[in-house]
Amino acid sequence: MHAIEVDHLSKHFGTLVALNDISFSVDEGETFGFLGPNGAGKTTTIRLLTGISPPTGGTATVFGKDIVRETTAARKTMGIVHETSNIYDDLSAWQNLMFTAELYTIGKKEREQRGKELLELFGLWERRTEKVHGFSKGMKRRLTLAMGLINNPRLLFLDEPTSGLDVQSNLIIREVIRDLTSRGVTVFLTTHNIEEANLTCDRVAIINRGRIAAIDSPERLKSTIQSAQSVEVAFDRVAAIRQDDLRQLYGVSEVRKEGDKFRLFTQDPSGVIAAVMEYATVHNTRVLSINTLGPSLEDVFIKLTGLEVRTKGVSTVD
Amino acid sequence: MDGYGQLYAELNGAWAIAKKDIAIYYFKPNIIVSGALFPLFMFLAFAAGNSAGPSVMIPGLIAITILFSASSIEPVSIPIERRMKTFDRLISAPISLHAVVLGESLSGFLYSMGIAFVPLIAGMLIFGTPIISFAPLVAGIILTSFCFATMGTLFAAYPTESPGDIMSMLNLVRLPLIFISGVFIPIESIPSIGQVAAYFSPLTYGNDLIQAAYHGHTHFNPLLDVAMLCIFILFFQIFANQLYRRWNE
Repeated sequence: MHAIEVDHLSKHFGTLVALNDISFSVDEGETFGFLGPNGAGKTTTIRLLTGISPPTGGTATVFGKDIVRETTAARKTMGIVHETSNIYDDLSAWQNLMFTAELYTIGKKEREQRGKELLELFGLWERRTEKVHGFSKGMKRRLTLAMGLINNPRLLFLDEPTSGLDVQSNLIIREVIRDLTSRGVTVFLTTHNIEEANLTCDRVAIINRGRIAAIDSPERLKSTIQSAQSVEVAFDRVAAIRQDDLRQLYGVSEVRKEGDKFRLFTQDPSGVIAAVMEYATVHNTRVLSINTLGPSLEDVFIKLTGLEVRTKGVSTVD
Repeated sequence: MDGYGQLYAELNGAWAIAKKDIAIYYFKPNIIVSGALFPLFMFLAFAAGNSAGPSVMIPGLIAITILFSASSIEPVSIPIERRMKTFDRLISAPISLHAVVLGESLSGFLYSMGIAFVPLIAGMLIFGTPIISFAPLVAGIILTSFCFATMGTLFAAYPTESPGDIMSMLNLVRLPLIFISGVFIPIESIPSIGQVAAYFSPLTYGNDLIQAAYHGHTHFNPLLDVAMLCIFILFFQIFANQLYRRWNE
């Protein structure tokens, strides 16, 4: 049985088509990423799969339970971590957790034991009696995740789990996700963070404008655009380097400045390396490092969604 | 889970929501103003220059206190929860929308029950207002409180994140109810169009029961009062459920 099975699912808001006839399935124990830009339909998909919003067309099941006809039964199997840290600021961390447990009809003894375990796991046990309004963004996010796990779900929906978080919270959350998947919990993750999807997910669906553009493992997706090879180079005098000059080098089709490095896209990496070394000699600068890179998930994403924004030769993903 | 198990889950979830509201919202300043102080000032406005004694004024004060206090929690709490996105937590829990509506209404109901005791006790201790019959008083307070709490939940279904939007709409309904429901002016004394409108006001039936506790006679049959309040509660509950389903897509 699939953990999630989506068949020709659509959602319209008046004339706006938020989701357009999407189909996919997620295996039990899989970490499945839903990658897309803002407004692509990621959160709408989660709202449909959790029964908050009814679909306009198509069906979705969670562990075989139809999300429209058997909403309550399907929800018992899932934990939901919404995009915003939707916790009650006027309650303590402990009260927030216990309230969520009561919504899932978890008995007093069990919810108290589970609550203690989760607060310890997320480093919040010492501050359990404090009202949440004094918590940092990262602490609130960790508490939200703890609330999503209070019912020991078989399937966890994570909507942008690490968006805008501090390093410590990011690491804790990623470690918890890894631990969950090792214990067979299915994770459905939406993100616009390509690196997060690359590091965390077994498979990724790239969604854009309500349609799924591609579904596969990150490595297979990358292999679909082998033409996007590149050479990453760092010079010792970055300010003296002109991107227009680099773009004129032999075999270079595109240049992106990434931090203190330049990424030169090409179909002939060895030819570009030779040209870069010659350029450095001519311009009296040193090459600090040079690497050839295969296509990244970001390249796939840009190619499939067409979300390239060019500003004075610098390309970024919106 | 069997039918009884699910029923228990629904009631348990509703009670959890009510407890959460009690902990968070009961002492918010805007709820104290609209739920407790507003009816007091309304009463004082009516009482000034009115020669009627406490036995006439106290039942009316209890009725309008219930009207305002019961319907004041959800129009504040639900828009705030929409803004904080905590409302999504409620509507994505493994309980039905009916249980969410019931839980929200329960908090308004309990708040109103507590506030209604203030004029009740004040009437007994300060003015010595005698209560002739307790049964209609208990039935009147319980059913009217629950009815207006559910009405507050119904209005709060309007998809806004601003409590002021809902309070404005609610006051358009609550204020006229005071005049057409026989609270301070007997139904017989109001214009005929008002008398017809009185039949459509739940406050008419709630006030009738409360007045009966103090005066021993009712405008309608007490059983009709009880039945009408139950019908209003059912109607508000079902209608609220439909609106939340439609407006939370």
